[in-house]
Amino acid sequence: MKFFKIKTVGKSLSLYLIFLLTFGCSDFLDELDPSNLTNDTFYLTESHAEGAIAAVYSDTRFIGGGAGIFSVNWQMLEAVTGQSTTQTGQNSDLNNLYGLAYDSNTGHIRNWFTGIYKLIANANLVIQNVPEISMSESQKSKIVAEALFLRAWAYFYAVRIWGDVPLITLPQTSASEDFEPVRTPQADVYNQIVNDLKTAEAAGLPWTDTSGRVSTSAVKSLLAKVYLTMAGHPLNQTEHYANAASKAKEVIDTGGGIDLFDTYEDIRNPNKENQVEHIFSLQYNGSDAGNPMVDMLPNFQPVTVLGNSGTGSTVPEISFYNSFEDDDLRKKDRVGWFYTSYYLNGSGSIFDLGAPFIFKHFNRESYGTEGVTGTNQNNLDLPIIRFAEVLLIYAEASNETTGPTQDALVAVKRIRDRAQLTSPNLSELSTDSFRELIWKERSHELCYEFKTWFDMVRLRKVLNSETGGFDNFVGHINLNSNQSLQEKHLLFPLPEQEILNNPNLTPQNPGYN
Amino acid sequence: MIKIKLLNKICNRISLSIIDLKIKHTLLLIFACVFVSNAQTVTTIKGNIVDSNGIALIGATVLEKGTTNGTQADFDGNFSLESVSSDGSLIVTYVGFKTVEILIDGQSYIDIALEINSDELEEIILIGYGSQKKSDLTGSIGKVDVDQLAERQVTSVNQALAGKVAGVQVNTNSGRPGGRTSIRVRGFSSINTGNNPLYVVDGVQLPTGGQITGNNAIDFINPANIQSIEVLKDASATAIYGSRGANGVILITTKKGTGESKFTYNTDFFVNVWGPNRPEVLNSSQYQRVEQLAWENSEKFDPAGWAAGNYALMEPRLRRQDSSVSHLFNSDGSAIYDTKWHKEATQQVLSQNHNFGFSGGSESSKYSITLGLRDEKGLLLESNLKRYSARFNIEDQINPWLKIGGTLDFNNQISNPQDWTSQPNRQIVEDFPFMPVRYETGTRIGDYGDNRDYPYAEGTQNAVKWLEGFPVEITSQNLIGSFYANINLTEDLEFRSVLGSNVLQHKQNLFLPGSINNNLPIAFVETNRNTFWSIENYLTYNKEINENNSITALLGVSWQQSDFEYLEARANALPSDAIKTHNLNSASNQFTFSSKNRKALNSFFTRINYNLMNKYLFTFTGRADGSSVFGGNNKYSFFPSAAFAWKVSEEDFLLDSSSISNLKLRASYGLTGNSDIPPYSSLGVLNSSYYGIFNESRFGGTGLGTLSNPNLRWEQTAQYDIGFEIGLFDNRISIEADYYYRKTTDMLLNSPVPRSSGYSTIRKNIGSMENKGLELSVSTRNISTADLTWNTMFNISGNRNKVLELATPADIFYVGGPGFTNPTGIIREGEPLGAMWGLTRLGTWNTDEAAEAARFVSYRGGNTMLPGDVKYKDVNGDYVINDEDRTIIGNGYPTAWGTITNYVKYKNFDLTFDVQYSWGNDILNLNLHSSEDRQDLANSYATVLNAWTPDNQDTMIAQVRNTRAGYVTNVDTHWVQDASFIRGQNFVIGYTFGPEFLERLKLSNMRIYGSAQNFFLITKDELLGDPEVEPLLGGPYVAAQGIKWHEFPKPTTFTIGLQISL
Repeated sequence: MKFFKIKTVGKSLSLYLIFLLTFGCSDFLDELDPSNLTNDTFYLTESHAEGAIAAVYSDTRFIGGGAGIFSVNWQMLEAVTGQSTTQTGQNSDLNNLYGLAYDSNTGHIRNWFTGIYKLIANANLVIQNVPEISMSESQKSKIVAEALFLRAWAYFYAVRIWGDVPLITLPQTSASEDFEPVRTPQADVYNQIVNDLKTAEAAGLPWTDTSGRVSTSAVKSLLAKVYLTMAGHPLNQTEHYANAASKAKEVIDTGGGIDLFDTYEDIRNPNKENQVEHIFSLQYNGSDAGNPMVDMLPNFQPVTVLGNSGTGSTVPEISFYNSFEDDDLRKKDRVGWFYTSYYLNGSGSIFDLGAPFIFKHFNRESYGTEGVTGTNQNNLDLPIIRFAEVLLIYAEASNETTGPTQDALVAVKRIRDRAQLTSPNLSELSTDSFRELIWKERSHELCYEFKTWFDMVRLRKVLNSETGGFDNFVGHINLNSNQSLQEKHLLFPLPEQEILNNPNLTPQNPGYN
Repeated sequence: MIKIKLLNKICNRISLSIIDLKIKHTLLLIFACVFVSNAQTVTTIKGNIVDSNGIALIGATVLEKGTTNGTQADFDGNFSLESVSSDGSLIVTYVGFKTVEILIDGQSYIDIALEINSDELEEIILIGYGSQKKSDLTGSIGKVDVDQLAERQVTSVNQALAGKVAGVQVNTNSGRPGGRTSIRVRGFSSINTGNNPLYVVDGVQLPTGGQITGNNAIDFINPANIQSIEVLKDASATAIYGSRGANGVILITTKKGTGESKFTYNTDFFVNVWGPNRPEVLNSSQYQRVEQLAWENSEKFDPAGWAAGNYALMEPRLRRQDSSVSHLFNSDGSAIYDTKWHKEATQQVLSQNHNFGFSGGSESSKYSITLGLRDEKGLLLESNLKRYSARFNIEDQINPWLKIGGTLDFNNQISNPQDWTSQPNRQIVEDFPFMPVRYETGTRIGDYGDNRDYPYAEGTQNAVKWLEGFPVEITSQNLIGSFYANINLTEDLEFRSVLGSNVLQHKQNLFLPGSINNNLPIAFVETNRNTFWSIENYLTYNKEINENNSITALLGVSWQQSDFEYLEARANALPSDAIKTHNLNSASNQFTFSSKNRKALNSFFTRINYNLMNKYLFTFTGRADGSSVFGGNNKYSFFPSAAFAWKVSEEDFLLDSSSISNLKLRASYGLTGNSDIPPYSSLGVLNSSYYGIFNESRFGGTGLGTLSNPNLRWEQTAQYDIGFEIGLFDNRISIEADYYYRKTTDMLLNSPVPRSSGYSTIRKNIGSMENKGLELSVSTRNISTADLTWNTMFNISGNRNKVLELATPADIFYVGGPGFTNPTGIIREGEPLGAMWGLTRLGTWNTDEAAEAARFVSYRGGNTMLPGDVKYKDVNGDYVINDEDRTIIGNGYPTAWGTITNYVKYKNFDLTFDVQYSWGNDILNLNLHSSEDRQDLANSYATVLNAWTPDNQDTMIAQVRNTRAGYVTNVDTHWVQDASFIRGQNFVIGYTFGPEFLERLKLSNMRIYGSAQNFFLITKDELLGDPEVEPLLGGPYVAAQGIKWHEFPKPTTFTIGLQISL
């Protein structure tokens, strides 16, 4: 045909070839993520080291992470104690925790596993990579020490919740040999915890740290607590009572500003954080991450500036509230740990709540107080180690080592004095009676701080709120659900999903399938 | 000269093929051009061409026999042909009609009526990178043309497509302006990757990624601009799109100019009103009765708390006396107001839609311009959508071998969909009926009356306040541009180059005023831009080797790139409401987020169509695709397909059959792929969204991110399809049926890893899934006379999905639903994707079962079960109700679905009646969680009037009580409701004016019509609300279909419209 033109074809084909050459470059399909850092572009400078440790601190907040409707992860450790109950039945996982009917599918348990190991993985990245960075050696040592402390803190939860758990101390890839790890015996996990804390103890961290970072006093306090736990069930390494007592004593004797606050109000005062009584807390601020204790507010009652908010999914079990002596300041409305009335919408006229609620983590500045509108910026921290606990660790550990001493009694008395309770004289105390006194004091002083459950497991004893005595763990009836604790409850089940995804993670804890 | 012109025309036609290729016509022209003109007495002849029903055949071709002299009929079927020989004859052709030859015989005006050519199905169907006669297709392709699209006045293409093509399931899951649809072609191919089909607009592929608030790029195209839609379903049809074809391909052809000057104006006005099947809620007196009973029953469910006085202050009598609400009640305690919130929170406002079309040009150059303005007011207060659209299209035959064309399509859309939260829809149900919208009495006159003002109620604001108080503005600008050049290298060989681009820009401004939020104002501004370009070059070789052998071959190469950039700024605690989103830096807390990514695709593709004896048709395609998202060694993959079709009716033994006018059998097999995963999925990167808090300040951190997987490769779907097409009695009955089986392997799955590593998932190729289904379409011409025609189209489809293999034996949860309660769906081997998951509600414990009930604990806040509590099936018999007792309880996808449409034309009247149906699909009604399972905190559905009482023990609904006394709520079988439905989708009645009337108005056409959409709904009694739902907050989850959580209500829409052309 006439319109067939060689020239044109030539032109078209050259055009075609140009396209091919221009766009057919081999790197057209190569990828480089412009928005994210990689191991090649990170862990190079001192500011990278600071960023890396910030990621580990970030992960500590998993405790306040969501666990389905009207629930957060920390409730796992409260609901099972029997000392709290719920005003709402919306969250079936939480219901099952309250009813001691949780199983390996319970969301909270999976969240704890996820949260703990994510923190550990981030800590491992710091511990592995930061030493390679060229930077100030003292700063490097501090950052690694913070990571060691936080990793130990996380493993300490893991080993108490599940017993034998995978022990991962190096960053992993899918090619890692222990990517599908077995369960490490808990004694070995404890040894790792102790070793990490000992390394951190010697790393030159400041004695206290008002910015909210790990301090030497926090390391020593946690070490004391770990020793105390190792001395109890299930390891029963009673020789560690002495270690616990001496570590706690170091903190008490060194002082350096560490003391009890004069009032309970100071404990929940957002302007008195990371000082005096607060040895280590999880850090919250109003704008980036608000305090995660709102589930302790009553169910849709106007106690805060937000009006009818709050879920009431952790409220005091009434017998536990009644187990406080009537003149215990901690029981006094809006003074100690509880309140039974508050100001309308946080700042209006006072009204009766109809029942006691937990005041321990109530942030007046954020929620509002008499005549002062709340800011709705809940920057209150979550206490992890208060000096009050260190005093009680010392008292308990030294009583187990040497029997009652004046030092130990003073430690307990400082706490009771603040509650305006009288204390017995040393002569009135036997090892046994002092022991129960301390246990009860732990129950009342440290309630609703996620500590009671581990005391119950460590001691295999549970405060009976109705008799005031201590029941054996197995057979004790939790008054919030009238269910009895069984042998299997000494450990939580490993998450079902984890067992399915990791065939080496066997066996499941006894009593769970 | 004449010859050149004619060639011009021919080439024009060939290249126009993408729009309205009329091969037969073209061939005739080619044939005609070999004759030499021998004109004698010259005259001009005019006439009019219509079909047997008197409908104008626009574009019918008139050619003087034996010459190259020809023309086309205009919009009204009129033609005028100059310089014809008065004793010659005219050859009149039109696609799908019998060609006629008419002697001119000295006439100057001829009326011509063409008969439908039922022997030849000459309809032209687009296939990827080309087109084919329908009769030559080997693949399964569904087509929707402009007439069917024009029936519904809808905002988005997907809504227009609903129910039109067998095997394509379109769910309109929200009644917001513009709708929100999910579209699945033959089920699912994927779990974690996209399931959306590929959209190709005039040859330009659109990005598949989901856009802001559940939209897709396709939603920003004005449906009024569309000429036809083809849906490619089987592998033979889709494999030419290789990696992007696994979820089906939707080819969209927009309207083009014909070269003739024309102006059209279409307008409609519509109003949205509450749609059918609205669930009833308690009115004031009913609510007060329930409230009183609930309070009294609390003693039974929490005796200790009751004894301790915990409920004393919650007595309704006392609550009503609270100073903040006491003015809402009469002295006898009865309510003054009885607010109907569904009325207060909605508007019935007139919406309008205008479309202008201009087209024109010459023989060689054609243009068209369309302008659109849509101003839609949604059902919920303040909801709206405004769209300004403009489209410009031009093509020019520069010379005999070169033709170029281009399109520019721009849409600017501004909307407030009122669904950034489901809260207002929830409040329509839960707002207390005794509350006024705004107080007219009391100390807060003028303030909104909120549930929160009532003591012990849930702390929320009323529906009207949500809708009026939190303005959202979403601005979307979508630009699609394309340019193409066609070069005829030889008679048989054509080179085509297409350059396409799509720029989609979104901005969302959201402002939460402090004044009504009891909080400091918060503002968000979010913008993102998705820029896409493609260059595709291909050669098409078309050769009729001899009478029995013809071949079409295609060879091409393509590059595509998509860049995405995102920026969000957020400000907490703005100093004043006045600032809104316009000065974020005035706030004390500011946050910014940004990200950027790129995806690239490089492909080589080929196709051979071979036609043997016009009876045996073969198609082979192959496409090699390389994608940037995969690991280094696996960038490229090859996707082949083969298909065979046998035109049985062309065989001698059927050629003379009086009953079977058409019979074709088809079979195909092929592979397609899926690469719709986020960029950088194969890379291991760190995550920088961590932050520590030191000294009360945020300190950014970087740490654990994603696990790398350098072996990441393509997900593949193998599909076979067998089908037949049969036409009976001169094609008065046409049936098309297909069976398909699709198996997806190497699924791109976010596969769980041991969390001891710190990671949760790795993107991996693992697992497989199958879909199999049947599709049947039947169309009949029931009556076909000059005055009355009646056609019916019916289609039905069914698809069964089954997950065959997952990465680990572990079930996958949280794959759908808003995630505030137990998992609503599960992905499990051997089960359909996204099966609903929960407990089995047997009913309620009755009085004589008290002892058995008491053995159960824990599921009512850890309390013992009592008569009147919900009774669950204890699957493992351990007297504990927990995850062990959960099973698969429903499926959001239907057993079968389809449409029946009737078209009736009587003289100047036309009528369309479109009914959609679906059966076997369930909904999981999460609304019952707060609107039936619990009372006292807010209002409830009227179903609670049937709650357990000692006299009404045979009920599914638990005894009412103050929620604080402990109640039961779980995802369970009672929430699963049979959502089978028959929906009156569309009813249209139109009138087309006759020629005398039009003559007076100087118009060539004018039609008026009225329609009603979604005007009835037949469902099972148990179903509360609309059966087609998917929660907006369900995110990208594949298994959220049928999960109900307070969706934007679907309105009934009444429309009147006018269509005119000059």
